[in-house]
Amino acid sequence: MEKYGIGQPVRRKEDARFITGAGTYIDDVAAENMAHAFVLRSPFAHAKILNIDTSEAENMPGVLGIITGQDWAAEGFATMPTKAAISKKIDGSPLNQPPRHCFAIDRARYIGEPVAVVIAETREQAQDAAELVEVDYEDLPAVIDARKALAEDTPRIWDNIEGNVCLDFELGDKDATEKAFANADHVVSLELVNNRVTAAPIEPRGAVAEYDATTDSYKLQNATQNVHANRTTFADVLKIDAESLHHLAPDVGGGFGAKNSSYPEPPILLYAAKKFGRPMKWVNDRNEGFQSDTHGRAQFSKVELALDKDGKFLGLRTRTVGDLGAYCWTNGPFTPTGGSARTQGGPYNIPAMYYSAVAAFTNTMPTDPYRGAGRPEASYQIERIVQHAADTLGFDPVELRRKNLMPTASLPRKTPMGLDVDSGDFPEVFDRTMKMTDREGYAERVANSKKNGMRRGFSIAPYLECSGGMPKEFAGISFTKDGTVTLRVGSHSTGMGHETSKPQILAHTLGVDFDRIDFIQADTKATPIGGGHGGSRSLEVGGAAVLKAANEMLDKAKVLAAHLLNSNADDMDFADGVFTDIKTEQTIAIDDVIAASFEQGRLPEGMEPGCLDTESIFEREIISCPNGAHAAEVEVDPETGAVRVEHYWVIDDFGPIVNPMLADGQVMGGVAQGLGQALMEEIVYDDDGQLVTGSFMDYALPRADSIPKMELGYYEDAPTAKNPLGVKGAGEAGCCASPPAIVNAVLDALKEDGVAHIDMPLTPEKVWRAISEAKK
Amino acid sequence: MIVLKERFVMYFRCTFPPATPALEFAAVMPVISLTVNGNPVTVDVEARALLSRVLRDQLDLTGTHVGCDTSQCGACVVHVDGKPVKSCTMLAVQADGENITTIEGLAKDGKLHPMQEAFRENHGLQCGFCTPGMIMTAVALADENPELDEMSVRKGLEGNLCRCTGYQNIIHAVLDGAKAMRS
Repeated sequence: MEKYGIGQPVRRKEDARFITGAGTYIDDVAAENMAHAFVLRSPFAHAKILNIDTSEAENMPGVLGIITGQDWAAEGFATMPTKAAISKKIDGSPLNQPPRHCFAIDRARYIGEPVAVVIAETREQAQDAAELVEVDYEDLPAVIDARKALAEDTPRIWDNIEGNVCLDFELGDKDATEKAFANADHVVSLELVNNRVTAAPIEPRGAVAEYDATTDSYKLQNATQNVHANRTTFADVLKIDAESLHHLAPDVGGGFGAKNSSYPEPPILLYAAKKFGRPMKWVNDRNEGFQSDTHGRAQFSKVELALDKDGKFLGLRTRTVGDLGAYCWTNGPFTPTGGSARTQGGPYNIPAMYYSAVAAFTNTMPTDPYRGAGRPEASYQIERIVQHAADTLGFDPVELRRKNLMPTASLPRKTPMGLDVDSGDFPEVFDRTMKMTDREGYAERVANSKKNGMRRGFSIAPYLECSGGMPKEFAGISFTKDGTVTLRVGSHSTGMGHETSKPQILAHTLGVDFDRIDFIQADTKATPIGGGHGGSRSLEVGGAAVLKAANEMLDKAKVLAAHLLNSNADDMDFADGVFTDIKTEQTIAIDDVIAASFEQGRLPEGMEPGCLDTESIFEREIISCPNGAHAAEVEVDPETGAVRVEHYWVIDDFGPIVNPMLADGQVMGGVAQGLGQALMEEIVYDDDGQLVTGSFMDYALPRADSIPKMELGYYEDAPTAKNPLGVKGAGEAGCCASPPAIVNAVLDALKEDGVAHIDMPLTPEKVWRAISEAKK
Repeated sequence: MIVLKERFVMYFRCTFPPATPALEFAAVMPVISLTVNGNPVTVDVEARALLSRVLRDQLDLTGTHVGCDTSQCGACVVHVDGKPVKSCTMLAVQADGENITTIEGLAKDGKLHPMQEAFRENHGLQCGFCTPGMIMTAVALADENPELDEMSVRKGLEGNLCRCTGYQNIIHAVLDGAKAMRS
């Protein structure tokens, strides 16, 4: 049991199929007599659809039929509503929500919006035929920049939505913050951009839909992160009973938030499966993915910090314009509003804070939560303004940060943003990270870089973020006579290793054999509810549900064990998979108790065979606050503007670590995605709304040689009381900390060159231009 | 391995192409002969069919993944006569007569290849989608370079994208796997 206990780096069960090519991803799913769908997407950012002529395409080989927006509208299907966690404007009225149909019906509002779907025998035939679908467009002026979208003379994207505004938002104490600024010795201010990026999981989105006419029911296999919520949405769109839709996910090749969203293709596919009486498959290629996977970040902010003469922070004020794209999508309005507001100010002691935002529509692919969903933005905002304060006011940036951290003794506390910070030790975590960074050798490394014509810079980035996602989760444990244990969960791993970490919790708690635990996830038939994955919730909510179910099962097993030993349940002790009568010292192993539970004759009154099967729902009341301090050392070539991250150090506080190997993976993956945002990734639309970054040749993802050596450590001495495992969500921390750590390190390197700020991504060209500009 | 053979038998029993008329330019279906994971196969292919499509759709070797359309991600890497090739960038007809190894053919006699072992042991994968291409590239890299170090592995893997891991554990895996392959 020890080997598979909590805290052990247990190797992953799921790897057995992934390393041999035996995984089943959506494009590996096939059904008998399956037809294929290809989505014809709008090539215009904003255009009227005057007419669609499908006659030539319909006569192409293999074509079964074509569905257009008009066909869809004629069916009377519902729109896809946003489920945004923030749904009201400041004045209390509901946000402006444009109707989102699965097709562009008479007007296309972003490049990639579905205009028609061709169904054919093969994918190639569908794609060939799609080229012959003649769509008569009338090009309209496109609004691409969210800041310009709000200007008075900008054309409306939605006729009935004035000023292209979805909603405005505020949080914090405006008056107190204004007072803090009025009384401050110093005020620093910075305008900055959280660049539009995309999750780009290496597996493209796709689905296979089937319809059974005899039972009038559907089966949808979908590369999603969230089968239950999306089932409800898809069923609502199609106006069918959610119970008639069996939604499940095969192995999913990464998600990072983008596969949480409700997309138009699955309902179209379900409809087509019924209409044509054939199973239907659709899988995006990468170019389609760049057009039609949700994007993230896309925020323009002005950040202001008030300080006293000693550098003590007095107030923080942030004003953000968030770019929603053409629709509210699934949870899009939340990110630039509540999502970015909650963790304003990071781990610092700032008595007065005020956050305000406006979310605007543009003719671009909508944004939705992407790994972090507002917290990376907030972390970047506070860390950039702190660095800027240090640089412009002459404070040492490390000391300025250190002295403004929330004192350990001040916890638990609520921040002015209402975030419940119950546990942690920010100064200790900060010091531990600093200790890793080899400060003694730094001056020499700087001198060496200089000798080679390079610049070297360093920054530490303490961060405080929070978990999120659905607060409720289900876990079910069932047993068979042969000793197999089946664990069913409503949370969903898209690479995070739940097939290992969840059975690990079960094996640890029950003392049953880890290898005998089967794992089922992402199946609406297997669990009554499920929150899927999002907001780093899977361990703190899903893991807690497993623990709760295991403990409830143990309560029953204790009664049975006592019966089998002729003792009292109150006298039963349980440890390491063995029940012991503390009075008689008689013992019985849990496996024997489980075996006995299937023999009617050995059961006490009131217990039936199978009585140990347990289902449980855990509900989190308050979100956790993962935190830590990351640090980066970079070298910049002033001749080319190229940035190389030389070293990266991490101490994270996620509470107790269930599986350090998996936690490391989460941290390193998050850091790499943040590095991508900081240095190379950006979704670019030109002024007409054309998508410039439509492939991995234009959209730069970090590669093996872009990533520095990462050294990781954990601070485990401050478990949270918000869940029984004491854990704080680990999945998104990496990309909260790494953009500011890296960008600030680059700006530290370029301090002597007089470069004060560069907006992400810090591409060689931008860095080189900034150096050149500063020279003038 | 038995499973693989059964798949091949199934293939020979079914007819290909599908019963629909082919496109004009592909009216004549080229026939190619390959050795795939040690098994000789003869396949009718569309002239425009990519090797990745033929492996996946016609030979049911779905371990070879397709993650992009511009030869950038490397999820589709297989070995063609021992050399790593992005199978989404090679026409199937170009592979006529070649010896192909896919991820399914790496384990021998039920025993994992040392590189596969190393990926599991070092947690060199998360979602697993890039993993087959990553492992096939790594095996070729180790075959071609007896003296691998961290930097040469990082450079050697620059044609393979992973979005989950941040690469560090992949580097460890490749170094460990290469070492095990030599011993």
